[in-house]
Amino acid sequence: MSLYTEFRKLKRTCFFPAFAAGGVLSAAFPVLNMAVRSELFTAINAPAIQILMENNWEMMVMLNLLLLITGACILYHIEYAENGIQKMQALPLREASLFFGKAALLVPAFALMAVIEAASLIFCGARWFNESAGTLISDAAASLGFAFLLTLPALILSLMISSLCQNMWTMLGIGVLCVFTASMLPADSFLASLFPYAMPFQILPGMETEQITRYCIAAAAETAVLGSAELIILKTRRLFA
Amino acid sequence: MKFISLVRVEFQKIRRSKILLILLAATFILWLPSVINADAHFHMQDIGITPENSFFIQGFMGMTWFISPAVMTVCTVLITQTERTSNGILKMLALPVNTAGLAMAKYVVLLALSALYFLLNTGAYYISAAIASATQSYDFLLAPGYVLEQAGYLFLSSLPMLAVFWLIAVCIRTPVFSVGIGLASIVPSVLFINTKIWFLYPMCYPFYVLTVEYGRLAENMADTQLKLVPWIPAAAIITIICLAAACLSFGRAERK
Amino acid sequence: MNMIETKKLAKTYSGFTAVNGISLHVPKGSVYGFVGPNGAGKSTTMKMFLGLTRPTAGSFTINNMQYPQDRVKILRNVGSFIEAPAFYGNLTGEENLDIIRRILRLPKSSVTDALELVGLTEHRRRLAKKYSLGMKQRLGLAGALLGRPPILILDEPTNGLDPVGIHEIRMLIRSLPEKFDCTVFVSSHLLSEIELMADNIGILNHGRLLFEGTLEELKEDAAMKGYPTDNLEDMFLALIEDDNSRKGSNRKNNSKRDSRKTESSRKGGAR
Repeated sequence: MSLYTEFRKLKRTCFFPAFAAGGVLSAAFPVLNMAVRSELFTAINAPAIQILMENNWEMMVMLNLLLLITGACILYHIEYAENGIQKMQALPLREASLFFGKAALLVPAFALMAVIEAASLIFCGARWFNESAGTLISDAAASLGFAFLLTLPALILSLMISSLCQNMWTMLGIGVLCVFTASMLPADSFLASLFPYAMPFQILPGMETEQITRYCIAAAAETAVLGSAELIILKTRRLFA
Repeated sequence: MKFISLVRVEFQKIRRSKILLILLAATFILWLPSVINADAHFHMQDIGITPENSFFIQGFMGMTWFISPAVMTVCTVLITQTERTSNGILKMLALPVNTAGLAMAKYVVLLALSALYFLLNTGAYYISAAIASATQSYDFLLAPGYVLEQAGYLFLSSLPMLAVFWLIAVCIRTPVFSVGIGLASIVPSVLFINTKIWFLYPMCYPFYVLTVEYGRLAENMADTQLKLVPWIPAAAIITIICLAAACLSFGRAERK
Repeated sequence: MNMIETKKLAKTYSGFTAVNGISLHVPKGSVYGFVGPNGAGKSTTMKMFLGLTRPTAGSFTINNMQYPQDRVKILRNVGSFIEAPAFYGNLTGEENLDIIRRILRLPKSSVTDALELVGLTEHRRRLAKKYSLGMKQRLGLAGALLGRPPILILDEPTNGLDPVGIHEIRMLIRSLPEKFDCTVFVSSHLLSEIELMADNIGILNHGRLLFEGTLEELKEDAAMKGYPTDNLEDMFLALIEDDNSRKGSNRKNNSKRDSRKTESSRKGGAR
């Protein structure tokens, strides 16, 4: 119910086309990189998807995160711009369901991006490396699936920031600062990589099983914690409004 | 005189916008790791750069590649949104003001915010270099003349980029696209500085300029010369086209 | 002499005619009341005067100046107040006026003067976004009065004000031509309200001018056509009803649009 109303509210905001376009842009990185420097990469002795991820993922994830922030920002900007949020608050509707309705839209939008990116990796693998389609597809699906899971905390956090800022530029500014912080954090520290915006930078291929499990648990836990934090914040904000 | 008063009006409009906080936070996040990891600059033998030069370049590198363009995109959002929420733009258009002048005044505000950000970073560089000097017992401070000169070059090289951002903010009225395109345009800079056609992509100019300086300071890195010839004319043309287009289309949607 | 004059002015949005070839004559030094139901095209006409929207046909002159050649010159002579509150929410009422003052190159005292005129002096240091609807309305009005321009274009200036406020603002508008030697073009959807302020009246419905003249002329005209004349509201309703029934099919669409418009203005009121 609230998912549908949230979907309706996005009319004419070009929300989904923007994510599709972002996906295509981000998918263009590995293709371009391979087109220009294919000898360099095909000479490396490693699975195709691993090579592709290691050489392109950083930029792709940067784009993903920036687009997530923009998307989250738009989802709440439409509420604050003409004071629609006040109307929503005056309706028999929990503000939390508004939030989760929006999250439920941001997730498939981001999934759309991830699918386009996976398709591009598979294309590159098939075009430039000698690997079976089966391996490529399963490797790409696993890598992007993992990346998707690890991005969920950042997704919820972006939406949380947006729900708390009335001005579009404060939402964006804080989001941009978060991405920047993530890029400044030391890459070798596990603890630092748990920062929601830093986690998506992790790459699945070549990672030890134990580490994979730790990241999966961390991502699920952070998503749950941030979700409940948002619930508490919305409740307390009502009290002080 | 008249244009100056328009610019003053534009500055007045962004009061209480908290943009200064964002600029300050962006500066802080940039330089804090430099201070904490100051010792890393002693292990740059393979590149052949002195610790103090490395400290300076690495910090400014982080600024020019991502945070400065990103913060400027946020600033364009600030400038357009203050006008559009509560319809301030309608009042402006109903006043005896030249719309192109208004658009230019806003670009000047953007420039001023950018200049302020570069100055903040230069200041922050000196503070963090001083702290690092104290903690590492090594003189990290570079001559102010040199640092200011570099910051000045970087600012000048970012003018075309700001013009492009301003055009995007004015012309693309769907917020998700104007912001998304602005932010997304930053990421490919890394690719462009390695190509021969870098001068066609204004978003990578400051980064390119700094990379050239990096190559000059580091002994073991390939020296690239900053070729002014295709670059400056290209930059000038891009800037002029963007600003002209922005001036022409500013306020057009509101006056349909 | 006419301060504002239009010749067959028209505005068509894709497939919908908002203003349909109207010719208005606003005499200098008068208060001209522009009456019509919601969606009749009053705001569109006023927006055309201010260059906020481009006429699709016809022309107009303001103080013998032509749009679009003299846009900036016209705007220098016009104080305007447009229906939707237009201001900067992050600034105080005083700062909002200060911005307009700088653009008009007026002395600082003009802000105090305008605040005083609309009775906003004690709230001048509050953020405009925290203003009540009535205060926003007064702020908009102060912005129009700033510098005492020779022409005032006011779109439903009493919307959202309380009865005392309505009375105050009406008295103020009534007194303006005499006080500042200016011409006022004011719109409203209430004929009874316009009667209290205006010397001349223009009645608009579905973008067409039904009547233009003084109130006495209107009454005579109405009596001749057999409309009730003892109550202005009834007279106005009869006039509009009659026109609507002549237009027939268009009416349904318009009433739908009207109801949407009232809804949005109510939402604004809750702010």
